[in-house]
Amino acid sequence: MSKSSRRLLGLLVFGALAAAWLYAASRLWRTSVPDDLKLPKVDVGAIVGLSELHRAQHFSFVLDLFGLAGLLLPLIVLAFYAKWGHRFIGESAAGPIGTGMLLAMLGIAILWIAMLPSQLGALWWLRRYGIEKTGYVEMVVGTWSALGFEFLGICLTILIVMGFARLLGNNWWLAGAPIFVGIAILVTFVQPYAFNQPLEGHAALLQTEQRLAQREGVKAVPLRQINVSATTTAPNAMAMGLGPSRRIGLFDTILDGRFSEPELEVVVAHELAHHKHNDLWKGIGWYALFAFPIAFVIAQVTKRRGGMMVPLAVPLFLFVYVALPTLTLPIDNAFSRRLEAEADWTALKATNDPQSAKALFVSFVRTTNENPNPPFWDPILFGSHPTEAQRIGMVEAWQAQNGG
Amino acid sequence: MNEHPITLHVMDDLRRSRLTVFFRYLLYIPHGIWLELWGIAVILVAVLNWLVALVIGRPAAPFQRFNAAYLRYWTTVYAFLMLVANPFPGFTGEPGSYPVELSVPTTPEKQNRLKTFFRMFLALPTVVVLYVVLVPAMLICYPLLSFSWWASLITGRMPRGFRDLGANAIRYGAQVAGYALLVTGTYPCSSPYVGMALGVPVIDAAPAVAETPPAAAEKPTAPEAPEAPSEA
Repeated sequence: MSKSSRRLLGLLVFGALAAAWLYAASRLWRTSVPDDLKLPKVDVGAIVGLSELHRAQHFSFVLDLFGLAGLLLPLIVLAFYAKWGHRFIGESAAGPIGTGMLLAMLGIAILWIAMLPSQLGALWWLRRYGIEKTGYVEMVVGTWSALGFEFLGICLTILIVMGFARLLGNNWWLAGAPIFVGIAILVTFVQPYAFNQPLEGHAALLQTEQRLAQREGVKAVPLRQINVSATTTAPNAMAMGLGPSRRIGLFDTILDGRFSEPELEVVVAHELAHHKHNDLWKGIGWYALFAFPIAFVIAQVTKRRGGMMVPLAVPLFLFVYVALPTLTLPIDNAFSRRLEAEADWTALKATNDPQSAKALFVSFVRTTNENPNPPFWDPILFGSHPTEAQRIGMVEAWQAQNGG
Repeated sequence: MNEHPITLHVMDDLRRSRLTVFFRYLLYIPHGIWLELWGIAVILVAVLNWLVALVIGRPAAPFQRFNAAYLRYWTTVYAFLMLVANPFPGFTGEPGSYPVELSVPTTPEKQNRLKTFFRMFLALPTVVVLYVVLVPAMLICYPLLSFSWWASLITGRMPRGFRDLGANAIRYGAQVAGYALLVTGTYPCSSPYVGMALGVPVIDAAPAVAETPPAAAEKPTAPEAPEAPSEA
């Protein structure tokens, strides 16, 4: 085969893969929220109160600054580490993969040190507003322990990447990316088993969930209580698991009496909607869509350091491994917001109780202090959910369509 | 005499990286998990090896090599954790890769069947001694808890006395494990002068005696490494 034929074939394969990628992405992007739904402009100040609104704006502005530090600092620190991290090779007596593990762990350790001041700052701010209860020492010890799990995760990643690189050379990403997707599926499947406390004292809520599930034509899933009130006051809930491990987790901070029973029903309906729409599978599909190109780019970039076969490439790997997901963060957040908006829409239809939904979103502003109407860049970088103003706007749009 | 089939060779130069000292506990985690997994296999192998040794009068050669590799690996991991050595160890227990290294007989020796039959009971007193020696040494050498951790962190050097104390605990632990796993029929010796070769590299792991090899002088020895015990 001539060089030009090979080039043409390569372009055709690339074009076919790109088309398949775009098709899969467009399928995942689609939701059941009507495309022509226009959200009305909501006067949040009039709903939650001006003083509450100003408090939330002030709180969120400073928290966003810490959030920006959390995004930028790793890039800066790991950029330096990519340049000079190879100096730590001398601290290893292990083989190439073991040395790669050491370099990766040290990179994360240095990042932990660099991030500690901004993390402590964010904790101070959250404590000031009564959102966090964790002490400073407790937080340092806690993040130190969490670092151990991060070390394990990065060691596993290096083992997979370097192991395949030593077998397949720079084509390791073809085998590596499916393994990472497999791990994501496994973690999502197993995660609910870490939260085994059944929901007690909320018999009405359990009955409501059965009723909602029946109405939505979806199998009811067990409700679990997740105890976090010792460390935070922030209310939350989540859909977890795949297939037989599917659960709905309700934080005890949402069950502490600050939310009415009808508001909790909206919460349960929202989480049930995630299961109805197979959002956890969609999340994995989305991850898979990016895992392949990201792994490919990492393989290409690390070639300049000899490829992932040698530990010398690990500091650069670490930088690209963190930088690429940071670059895709806006689109990941946009995808997540679409799934959350769809869950809100489905919950509205299932509960047929827009007043409680609205009251819930107003309560979220009061209990989390999140700015209901943040500046445009905030949701792009940090917004995994629609803003509370958008959620209230959706309720009003639903009311306009359906009455009530 | 200081000869024992299982001998610890210490070629460490006392220099410590502050960064890896600070994160030593966490860096140990992947090794800790691998050590546990390997340890499970070693227990299964030990039972089979015990049966083989009872029948043929010596351990099976593949089991001997397997257990020897495990003991070498165990030694490097604990040397790393207890700050007895500086570099991050490898995961395979390969000989000749670490400044604190165990020489272990890789070819099985003939062993008395009666002693083999009662091996676990015979090993019990040494396990008691091990806990008297090793546990205090661990407390002295373990990260965060100890003077040596702080000293290494602040000065970038491990105090020699603490390093040698930790090394002795590891050496004795390896001898106990080697005896229990039938790697050797020689009883562990609690004396710090037996089975310890400071500043002497492992030349050939197979004979595994603590005689100073002729080539030792040609190897670059650390300036701070103390002399081998005088009875060598």
